[in-house]
Amino acid sequence: MFDQTKIRNFSIVAHIDHGKSTLSDQILLKSGAITEREFKEQLLDDLKVERERGITVKARAVAVNYTYNGEVYEINFIDTPGHVDFHYEVSRSLAACEGALLLVDAFQGVQAQTVANAYAAINANLEVIPVVNKVDLPVTRIPEVLEEIESVIGLDTTDVIKTSGKTGAGVEDCLAAIIERIPSPKGNPKDPLKALIFDCKYDTYRGVITYVRVKEGRLYKGQKIYCMKTAAAHEVLEIGQFRPHMEPCEDLGPGQVGYIVTGVKVLGTIHVGDTVTDYHNRAEKALPGYEVPQQMVFCGMYPIDATDFEHLRDELEKMSLNDASFSFAADTSDALGFGFRCGFLGMLHMEVIQQRLEQEAQVDLIQTAPNVTYQLVKTNREEVFIDNPQEVPDAGSIEEFREPIAKVQFILPSDKIGPIMQLCADRRGVYLTTEYLGPKRVQLTWELPLAELVFDMYDKLKSITQGYGTMNYEVIGYRPADLVKMDILVKGERVDALACIVHRSVAERRGRAVCKKLKEEISRHQFEIPIQASIGARIIARETISAVRKDVTAKCYGGDISRKRKLLEKQKEGKKRMKQFGQVEIPQKAFLAVLSTGEEG
Amino acid sequence: MAGISSICSNPDDRAALTTRSVYIHVPFCRHKCGYCDFTLVAGRDDLFDRYLAALSQEFQVHGFDPSRPTEVDTLFLGGGTPTHPTVSQLRALLELVRDYFPLRSGAEFSVEANPLDLTDEKIELLSEFGVNRLSLGVQALRDDLLTLLERDHRAVQIGPLLERLRPVFASVSIDLMFGIPGQTLGDWEQSLRDVVAYDLPHVSTYGLTWEPNTAFSTRLKRGELNRADEGLEGEMYLAAMEYLGAAGYRHYEISNFARPGFECRHHLVYWNGGDYEAFGPSAARHRAGRRETNVRSVLGWLSAVESGRSVVGDAEDLDPETRARELIMLQLRLDHGVIRDAFSQQTGFAFNDLAAGQLAELLASGLLEDTGEAVRLTRQGKLLGDRVAAEFL
Ligand SMILES: Nc1nc2c(ncn2[C@@H]2O[C@H](COP(=O)(O)OP(=O)(O)OP(=O)(O)O)[C@@H](O)[C@H]2O)c(=O)[nH]1
Ligand code: SF4
Ligand SMILES: [Mg+2]
Repeated sequence: MFDQTKIRNFSIVAHIDHGKSTLSDQILLKSGAITEREFKEQLLDDLKVERERGITVKARAVAVNYTYNGEVYEINFIDTPGHVDFHYEVSRSLAACEGALLLVDAFQGVQAQTVANAYAAINANLEVIPVVNKVDLPVTRIPEVLEEIESVIGLDTTDVIKTSGKTGAGVEDCLAAIIERIPSPKGNPKDPLKALIFDCKYDTYRGVITYVRVKEGRLYKGQKIYCMKTAAAHEVLEIGQFRPHMEPCEDLGPGQVGYIVTGVKVLGTIHVGDTVTDYHNRAEKALPGYEVPQQMVFCGMYPIDATDFEHLRDELEKMSLNDASFSFAADTSDALGFGFRCGFLGMLHMEVIQQRLEQEAQVDLIQTAPNVTYQLVKTNREEVFIDNPQEVPDAGSIEEFREPIAKVQFILPSDKIGPIMQLCADRRGVYLTTEYLGPKRVQLTWELPLAELVFDMYDKLKSITQGYGTMNYEVIGYRPADLVKMDILVKGERVDALACIVHRSVAERRGRAVCKKLKEEISRHQFEIPIQASIGARIIARETISAVRKDVTAKCYGGDISRKRKLLEKQKEGKKRMKQFGQVEIPQKAFLAVLSTGEEG
Repeated sequence: MAGISSICSNPDDRAALTTRSVYIHVPFCRHKCGYCDFTLVAGRDDLFDRYLAALSQEFQVHGFDPSRPTEVDTLFLGGGTPTHPTVSQLRALLELVRDYFPLRSGAEFSVEANPLDLTDEKIELLSEFGVNRLSLGVQALRDDLLTLLERDHRAVQIGPLLERLRPVFASVSIDLMFGIPGQTLGDWEQSLRDVVAYDLPHVSTYGLTWEPNTAFSTRLKRGELNRADEGLEGEMYLAAMEYLGAAGYRHYEISNFARPGFECRHHLVYWNGGDYEAFGPSAARHRAGRRETNVRSVLGWLSAVESGRSVVGDAEDLDPETRARELIMLQLRLDHGVIRDAFSQQTGFAFNDLAAGQLAELLASGLLEDTGEAVRLTRQGKLLGDRVAAEFL
C-alpha cells in the first residue's frame, strides 16, 4: 500500500474549453505516465463522441507517480467536463478528492461555469487552487482575470499558478502547488473498508467495471465485498489503477482511486454513489452518496426497427450505468410504437447520449422533440407532472398549467446587454439584477421559463455575443402560465409524437413554423399531404405537401441499368430510416421539427 | 412491309435470353445539344480513324476474331449520331462491324439517325449493309422547340423524309420529347396526332430529363429556362398513352410504343435481363450477372485502348438475388410486367418471396395490378414507375 501521506487527490474543473484535458496531457507527460510517442491531444477524451466534438463528456480518473523534492508521490486526478450539461460528472468527481484545480482561460477569464464549478468545489470543502491557463495565447488579460477570480469567486490569487497546456509552461509549479497545498487523504487503513463508487462502465468481455475511491480500510484482490445500498455481495477478481490505462495492482488504501472487476454481467446490482465495504467486516454507515440530478429535458427514443426494442432497453441500461444522470422509462406512441421516454440534463447531454447509443451500441433511433416537465392542477385538484405532451388531458379538465422556471446567470461583454435583455423579455423572462464584474464585463440575472431556455438560448447567446457570453442556470420552481397543447395532424390524422406544449401567445407562430419545417422534411408522396397544427379542434396553421405526379426514368437502356439500380437502391435505403405513419412516411429528422420557433424568417 | 414478320418478336417468350446482341457506340455529333449528356464529341471528326482502329482493337480484346466471325441476332448502332460520319467513314465502320458481327438470318439491325444526315447515298449505304430498323432523332414537331433543343432539322422536313425511308427500311421509329420548356399540352397533343398520321411502326416518347452538367441545367439555374410542371408532364405522358394506344400501338415499354411485331428486339434483351456485348466509349455489356461499363470519356477510351489498358470504368458482379431484383426493376417497365413462371425459371427465385412486404400495399395503392400470372404497372403506376421499382430493390 502506498504511503498515505504521499497521496494527493484532485479534480480539474473549469468552464468549457478552458484547457482541462490539455493540461491533463501535460501532467501525464511530466509524470512519465505516457511517453512523447504515446502522446496525443486530449488523450483522456477517448469516447468517439468526445473526439468528434472536441469536448469532454465523461470525467476520467488517472493515477500518476511524481517525484517532488526527491520523494515519490501518487497523484490521483480527475479530468472533468466543463459543459453545464455534464455538471453531475463534476460533482461526483469532487466527492472523490481533497482538492481542485480551478482553471481560468487567460483571455476569456471567469465565465459562468467557472463560477458554478468553483462554488461546487468550495462547498465540497476542497482546497481550491486557482490556475490561469493558456498563458501562451497571443492576447491575454491576466491582471483583469486575477481581479475577476478575486472579486467574483473570492479566491486569493497571491500565489496564483500560471500554466500553458500547449507549451507545458508552469506545469511543474502546478504539481508543486498540488503537493504543497492539497492535504493528503485521511482515513484509517485498519478500519472496515469504505470505498465510494463514483463511476461505472460496462465492458462486453469483463462485465461491470466499478470505479472507486477508497475512503477507509483496504481493498484487495480476492476480497469478498459488499455493496451497502444494493445489498449485493461480489468477489474482487481484479483491482487496479488508471495509469491512464487499466493496470492491475494488489491493493488500494485510503485516498487511492482505482477500479474493481467482479465479473458481474447482470445490471442493477452496482450503483454509482453506493459504498463498497468488506463482506465479513462491514462498515457501520455508508458514505453520503450522490443526489441524483433533476432531468431538464425529456424526449422519446424509439428504435427505427421495432424488433430492436429489447436491444435498446439493454443498451439504455448499460448506458445509464455509465451515466446515472439520464433516465428512461418504457413508453408507447401510436405513431412510433414501443420506445422509451428519456430525461436528460440538457440538449447537449441528449445529443451525446443519442450519439453514443448509435455509435457504441449501433441502434438506429428516432428521437422526438424534447420538452421540459410541466405541472398540472386538474379540476379535481389532483396535481400531476407531465414530461410527455401526449399525456396532457383535455383543456376542460385542467385547472392550472404550470411550467418550470429557471434562474439564469449570464456573463457577457457589457455592450451586449441590450440585445440579451430584449431576448429574455421576448421569452417571458423576469429581470432580476445586473452586476459589473469589471469595466466591460457584466453578470445579468433573469428568471426565465425553462422551456424558453434549454432548447436554444445557449446558441442565441453565443451568436449575439460572438461567443463571449456564457450562462448558467438552476430550476427554482413552477409557475402558472397560459400553456396549451398543440397537435400536429398529418393527412388529417393526429401524430401523437409530434404534439408539443406551447405558450398561447406564440402558438400560431410556432404552428406555422412547425408545419413549414415538416413540409421541408417530409418528402412528397403519390398523394397530397395536408399538414396542420391545431389547438383542440381549432386549426391554427396549415401547409400542403403536393403529390408526386410523375416519377419514372424515361430511358433505361444498356448503360443505364446499373446506374439506375444503384440510384433506386439508395432511395430504398433512405426509406428504411423513415417511420410509416398511415400511408405517410415520416423521416427521423421530422420529429425534431417541433422545435422550430419561427422567431426569425 | 416485306420482311417484317421475320424480325417480329413476341416479348413474352424467352427469345431475348438466347439472343446474341451487340451494341456499338458511335460518339460523333455535329453539335452537342443543350439537354444531352450522352458520351460524344462534337467538332472532333478528326478522331474518326482512331476511333475505328480502337473499335476493332476492342473487338479483339474481347476475343472476337474476323476469321471466325460471330453471327448476331440484334445489332444496334447508337450514339452520338451514327449517321454523322461521312459516307466513306460510315462505310468503313459498317464493314468493320460486318467483318466481326455478321447478321444471322432474320436479325434486327438498328441504327440511330439524325434526320438531316440521311442523304440518298447514306440511306442506300445503310440498307446495303442490312440495316432494317432506323430510329430517328426527331424530338419535336414544332420549329421553335427544335431551335430550343438545338436540333438542325425543321418540322416540315420530317414527312418527306419518312416517305423516302419507308420503302427501304422494314421499321422506322421516331423519338419525340415532352416536357420541353414552353411546350403546352395542346402542342404535345398536336405532335401526337401528327405522328399518328405518319403511321410509323414504332414511336418512342421521352420526358425531357434535366441532367446535371448540361447546358440546360445551367440555364435552368440561371432562370433562363423553366422546367415543365410535373403535373403537366404527367398529363403529357398520359396523352401519349391515350393517342398512341387509340391508334393501335402497343405501349410495350415505359417510353416505347410499337405496332404489334415491331418492338425493338435489341432493347427487349436489356429489359429481360439478357446478355449483350458492347463496344465504344461508355458502352455497357452484360454477361450472366456481370455488368461492365466502359469509361465515359471518348478520349479516355481511345487512349486506354491504344495503350492496351482496360477500358472498363465500372464493373460489378451481381449476386443471384440482386440480379433477380434488378430483373423486377427492368421487367416492370414492360407492359406484361413480371411473369411469375418465367421469372422463377430465369432467376431461381419466386417473385412473391422477393416481394412479400411491399406487394400488397402497391396493389392496394393502385400502382400495380396482379393478373395471377403476372404483376405489372397500372396506367397510374407507369407515371410513378421508379417509386414502384425501388420498393423491390
Ligand atoms: N493556446 C492554447 N490553447 C489551449 C491551451 N490548452 C488548451 N487549448 C486549446 O483549447 C481548446 C480546448 O481544450 P481542452 O483541453 O479540450 O479544454 P477542456 O477544458 O478540456 O474542454 P471541455 O472538457 O470540453 O470542457 C483546444 O482547442 C485546445 O487546443 C493552452 O494552454 N494554450
Ligand atoms: S444529336 Fe443526340 S447524341 Fe448528339 S448531342 Fe444531340 S442529343 Fe446528344
Ligand atoms: Mg476536456
